[in-house]
Amino acid sequence: MNHSLTFTHDEKQASVTVPTNTLLADAARLAGIDIGQPCGGQGRCGRCAVQVTEGQVRRRSTLRLSEADVAQGYALACQTVVEGDAAIYVPPQEKIERRLTTDRVVAEVTVPEDYEYPFSQTVRRVHLTLTPPSMDDQTDDWARLQTAFRLQRRFETVTCSLPLLRTIGSTLRAGDWNVTAIVEISRPSDHQTIRLIDLRPGHEDEYSPLWGAAIDIGTTTVTLWLVDLVTGQVKAQVAEYNGQIARGEDVISRIIYASKNGGADELRQRVLDTINELLERACKRVKLPQGKVTPDQIVKATIAGNTTMMHLFLGIPAASIRLSPFIPAVNHPPALTGREVGLNVNPEAAVDCLPGVASYVGADITAGVLSSGLDSAENVTLFLDVGTNGETVLGNRDWLVTCACSAGPAFEGAGVVNGMRATTGAIEEVWINSDTLEPTYRVIGGGKPKGICGSGLIALLSEAFLTGVIDKGGNVKLDAPSPRVREGAHGGEYVVAWGKETESGEDIVLTRVDIDNLLRAKAAIYAGFTVLAENVGIPLESVDKVLVGGSFGKYINVEKAVQIGLLPDMEWSRFEFLGNTSVKGAYLALLDWRKRERISEIAKRMTYIELSADNSFYEAFTSALFLPHTDLNKFPSVAEALEKSNS
Amino acid sequence: MPIEIPKDKWPGSIRTVTIGATSAEGGTRAKTVTVGGGTTMPYLHFEAPTPNKPAIAIEIKSRKPEDWSPLLAEVWGAAMADPAQWAKKAEEAGADLLVLALTVEDSPEDAVKAVKSVLGATGLPLIVWGPGQAEKDNELLVAVAEAAKGERLVLGICEDKNYRTIVATAMANGHLVQARAPMDVNLSKQLNILISDMGMPKDRILMDPTTGALGYGMEYGYSVMERLRLAALQGDAMTQFPMIVTPGFEAWKTKEAKVGEGIPEAWGDWKARAIHWETLTALALVESGADIVVLRHPESVKRVKDAIGELVVA
Amino acid sequence: MALSGIQIYKLLPQTNCKECGFPTCLAFAMKLAAKQVELGACPYVSEESKKQLAESAAPPIRLVTLKADGNEVKVGNEVVMYRHEKTFYNKPGLFLRVKASDPDLAKKVTQADAYKVNYVGMDFSLNGYAIEADGDLTAAVKTVREVTKRPLILISNDAAALDSSLSLLAGETALIYAASESNYESLAEVAKKHKAVLAVKADTLDALADLTQKIQTKGVEDMVLDLGGKNLGDWLMRSTQVRRLALKNFRPLGYPVIFFAAQNGVEKEAVYAAQAIAKYAGFVVIDTFAPEMIYPLLVLRENLYTDPQKPIQVQPGVYEINSPKPESPVLVTTNFSITYFAVANEVEGSGLPAWLVVTDAEGMSVLTAWAAGKFDAERIAKAIKGFNVADKVSKKRLVLPGHVAVLSGEVEEELPGWEVRVGPREAVDLPAFMKQALN
Ligand code: SF4
Ligand code: FES
Repeated sequence: MNHSLTFTHDEKQASVTVPTNTLLADAARLAGIDIGQPCGGQGRCGRCAVQVTEGQVRRRSTLRLSEADVAQGYALACQTVVEGDAAIYVPPQEKIERRLTTDRVVAEVTVPEDYEYPFSQTVRRVHLTLTPPSMDDQTDDWARLQTAFRLQRRFETVTCSLPLLRTIGSTLRAGDWNVTAIVEISRPSDHQTIRLIDLRPGHEDEYSPLWGAAIDIGTTTVTLWLVDLVTGQVKAQVAEYNGQIARGEDVISRIIYASKNGGADELRQRVLDTINELLERACKRVKLPQGKVTPDQIVKATIAGNTTMMHLFLGIPAASIRLSPFIPAVNHPPALTGREVGLNVNPEAAVDCLPGVASYVGADITAGVLSSGLDSAENVTLFLDVGTNGETVLGNRDWLVTCACSAGPAFEGAGVVNGMRATTGAIEEVWINSDTLEPTYRVIGGGKPKGICGSGLIALLSEAFLTGVIDKGGNVKLDAPSPRVREGAHGGEYVVAWGKETESGEDIVLTRVDIDNLLRAKAAIYAGFTVLAENVGIPLESVDKVLVGGSFGKYINVEKAVQIGLLPDMEWSRFEFLGNTSVKGAYLALLDWRKRERISEIAKRMTYIELSADNSFYEAFTSALFLPHTDLNKFPSVAEALEKSNS
Repeated sequence: MPIEIPKDKWPGSIRTVTIGATSAEGGTRAKTVTVGGGTTMPYLHFEAPTPNKPAIAIEIKSRKPEDWSPLLAEVWGAAMADPAQWAKKAEEAGADLLVLALTVEDSPEDAVKAVKSVLGATGLPLIVWGPGQAEKDNELLVAVAEAAKGERLVLGICEDKNYRTIVATAMANGHLVQARAPMDVNLSKQLNILISDMGMPKDRILMDPTTGALGYGMEYGYSVMERLRLAALQGDAMTQFPMIVTPGFEAWKTKEAKVGEGIPEAWGDWKARAIHWETLTALALVESGADIVVLRHPESVKRVKDAIGELVVA
Repeated sequence: MALSGIQIYKLLPQTNCKECGFPTCLAFAMKLAAKQVELGACPYVSEESKKQLAESAAPPIRLVTLKADGNEVKVGNEVVMYRHEKTFYNKPGLFLRVKASDPDLAKKVTQADAYKVNYVGMDFSLNGYAIEADGDLTAAVKTVREVTKRPLILISNDAAALDSSLSLLAGETALIYAASESNYESLAEVAKKHKAVLAVKADTLDALADLTQKIQTKGVEDMVLDLGGKNLGDWLMRSTQVRRLALKNFRPLGYPVIFFAAQNGVEKEAVYAAQAIAKYAGFVVIDTFAPEMIYPLLVLRENLYTDPQKPIQVQPGVYEINSPKPESPVLVTTNFSITYFAVANEVEGSGLPAWLVVTDAEGMSVLTAWAAGKFDAERIAKAIKGFNVADKVSKKRLVLPGHVAVLSGEVEEELPGWEVRVGPREAVDLPAFMKQALN
């Protein structure tokens, strides 16, 4: 029996008549519409989803669609056959991607609802009008200012640095005794002691922006958010590889480098250069009617970063961090200023370095816990930071345990031949057609690919594995029938993009060495949280939610992360992707002193577990050094997917 | 007061594997050797009997080994220069099957010739090892596998970096493979998975966990074997292969067994010590679940055989 | 049942006051779960919690100690069937049986007592002597005690002889062998009087359990079991059953086990003793003083009783691969066994000769050791010098693992006259590197 179908695509319509049981994808092709089938029509990718607006079809598989999708008429063109006349809408790709049940996208940053300037904020703008001096009142300028603070604002004690003190007289006069003071409340709880950060002539607009920066110093990537402290809004987000990378990829190399003659100064300068450059870049991004924003207008900076990064940034000797019993010089750095730390912000700016827990669990994690909300979770929750140091936190509002393992920078795109950060030009998603072994990929920004970022690498590894390009041990099967599989300089490799498609004109490849780096990174992370859970006697299955942080850009495909054995095999609904949780935590602490105190609380409460204490980590690591894992029983969904792709 | 003895009930068991094929089965062996099938931890007959007792293999070489201990040279004598004769003597010494280790000097023709002469000299099933260099192993074993098609030889040794060629030729010619991983439960299992993924039938794989000798890390091998056996009994299909271990090779490379001069007096008599070294290494591995032990000295063969006899019929 | 860290944590005050010396109550709880600290370190545990925690901690196999002047043998207190589950704690005592009637008794014991053998830096000896009362026990004890300070086992059924012998051993803890259904009352009395340990013997486990309970009511707490059994297999089963029952907290059999290795003839002695060491014996008694047998038995015991949680190590030293010649290269790696194997296997497989120097990196892999400061220029130089590598080679060429390329300059400084080369990061790439770069 024949049926007539009408396809709508790109505002055009096309009709065709086909017999019963024709695949929608085939019917579309007959109608002149090519529905891409990245996974080779196996129902794995969900990219061929169409909407049946009228008529009768039969869906063989709806694995990639939610119930709501099906209720709205969605169907996979490669898995659905015609049973009657029907009208079908072929949506544009971007629209489909947002529907996929496996994708996790970071939420946009929003200002916390409870943020209320100036009450939540430690830095604020104060307008003062001083009585001008006279022959009758010969009080000095400084005392006059102090008096004004006391009488007009009830700030009993005011402190001020010498360089700033030198400028007071002229500023007071320039403003004709009307001034705007930027002050920091030293102890938010008593509200009486303040430190003067800046004194500006005249009365500035009360609600004009007051600039702050939230900074995450990662081993591999430094991230900076420029924030208007008055509204709480993030005005610019920038990131760059940490300039210290040139002196070692991991914290250990950096510590060793720092202990060499002049090494510490050099590393400190390198990260300062990176941050100062980011400050410039972030300021340039902001366009205001009042004019340009410059870094010296930044009056508060809150800094998160792992313990080593914090030491190196502050120029504190870090050598003891790496040597047993692994003791950092400082977990809770004191309040500092821009001048002291050497940032090109306002020299008096409040620089708040967040507290860490131990040598290998730093402020990036305490900040991460805050922003993930783990410390107030009712049920047992797992928080993974998929970064160079692979920190893991397990717990709930009653208890928190944490560990770290050296995962390496592979998921941040470093140490991988064609790896890159998740910025424009990065391949962030890959599908490989299981019949032809041809890939389909998506590039951030949509242009020509320059490299592959963390989420792209996860996808690529998983696809190469499921389609048999590599074996479970990560060996490229050189006998695979495709010109893309070839012998390279480091053993087997797979060509993701031929030179003619890429920005540089060179092939983008995944090599055996890359695969090894990725396997080690994922194995370290998986081993970290399994051993942590075992240590406290919590079965992984009883974990209610898995919060994933990391520099994957905006997106991660959890199914693929499970398929390579990076994440535990659980229902996808239990995963949440939070992006860079560290900078987000720094941002929350930058805004609100109560959240800042919560971070101190978290740092005190967290119990750090040293994984190198016995063999169990090594054991767990070797068993995870396989795709997806030596024990396939731990990954039932992957076993099923393999079964399907073999049959 | 009668005590109730707690018994373990296991869902899994060790696979039964048969080595060698008689003429009725497409080979030329006078007998075959079947190992594995265990359903308990080793020799716990109060739970279940031991279905197949561990087999003892004697290792011989295609050429006279120059680096073996003088004690071994003394006991095997001139037979060491002729694999066929050596094989016969080994059979007389009580071997259930033989290991023929090829050497780097062998050409594929030499290897085939050595294998044929050993097969001709005895009716025992045969395990053939390459010299342990990937390319050479592949070259020799492929030739041997084809020349001895249908004999159900065991071809070794597959390792994670070099298994594909050996497995492929074993599959094509009806042989078995020996899969060796370096003293690690996970690595053993991973190699077994890779080999099974190639389509190798599961009753044609022996796993070799690598054990080390007494005094030289044997305890790791010992525990790895116990763990593999436990995992197998718990139902993990990728650890249910019978285990082949090489205490002869391991023990005879130790100083304690190999040399008789310049060693501490507290080590006692050389020959007696050397045999104790091989025997005790072997016994410990038998206790931890070995299914095939490859030995070198006839006296050790006798003692280990005796011990196995007492273990299987309690 | 052992409690998990979180379960214990729930029984603690949860105030994170740090007085126990740990940063949080949870950290303390986890150490408790791992049995690495005593509950007493926290001053604030409630009585109720203490009770609950104590119950989960009682050892299933009684700790029995034999003592003589300055020498002690501790056995028991084991908690697992298989060593990988935790570890075997207390090595079985190896005792030599001597006869009271032997005219050469003093000489024999003197000779055996002087026996000492070194294994990887440790000195091992026999642990003591079992005196068989086939003659005048008291006289024999006197003779033996004059020539050794090690603990004794007295083998006799004669309560009076035992009594007078034990009187000679005041202040010691000896072992009496053995109480049976027929004599346990008198022997228990002697044991109790002299605070001796009492071995108990019966043909079946049922009878054995009955007997230990009866003896316990006589006031003897420290006992040791002789399980009988006619051969290796039989004894293996009995020993396994007793260990299993004990671990299930079946108290009547929760004692260490004694085993006589020569019971089926001295030709089987070594094998019998070896099985007993592997399979749960607390005391192993041999009849032959033969260093060539005692040495391997002592090594076996040491091996099986090392803590399997410790990283797997190989002996630091110079390993010869494929018969290296003076001009062959010197490769350096750490003593983590997996690392060693990876390197050794690759090179071995390539057929290329090399000297492999294994440094003492406390059993860590190259990267971890380097991170922890256990594999640095100084240690590498120390190994090269300590193992006299320079004497073995004509060409002083040293290959460092690629992961520690940063060390090359420092190593050259520490080892003047050596040419330092940086090898590949992965062992797999070694053969290619050796072929290309080292020619
Ligand atoms: S002493 Fe007790 S209450 Fe204080 S931290 Fe330690 S376990 Fe907790
Ligand atoms: S799901 Fe239809 S093409 Fe992938």
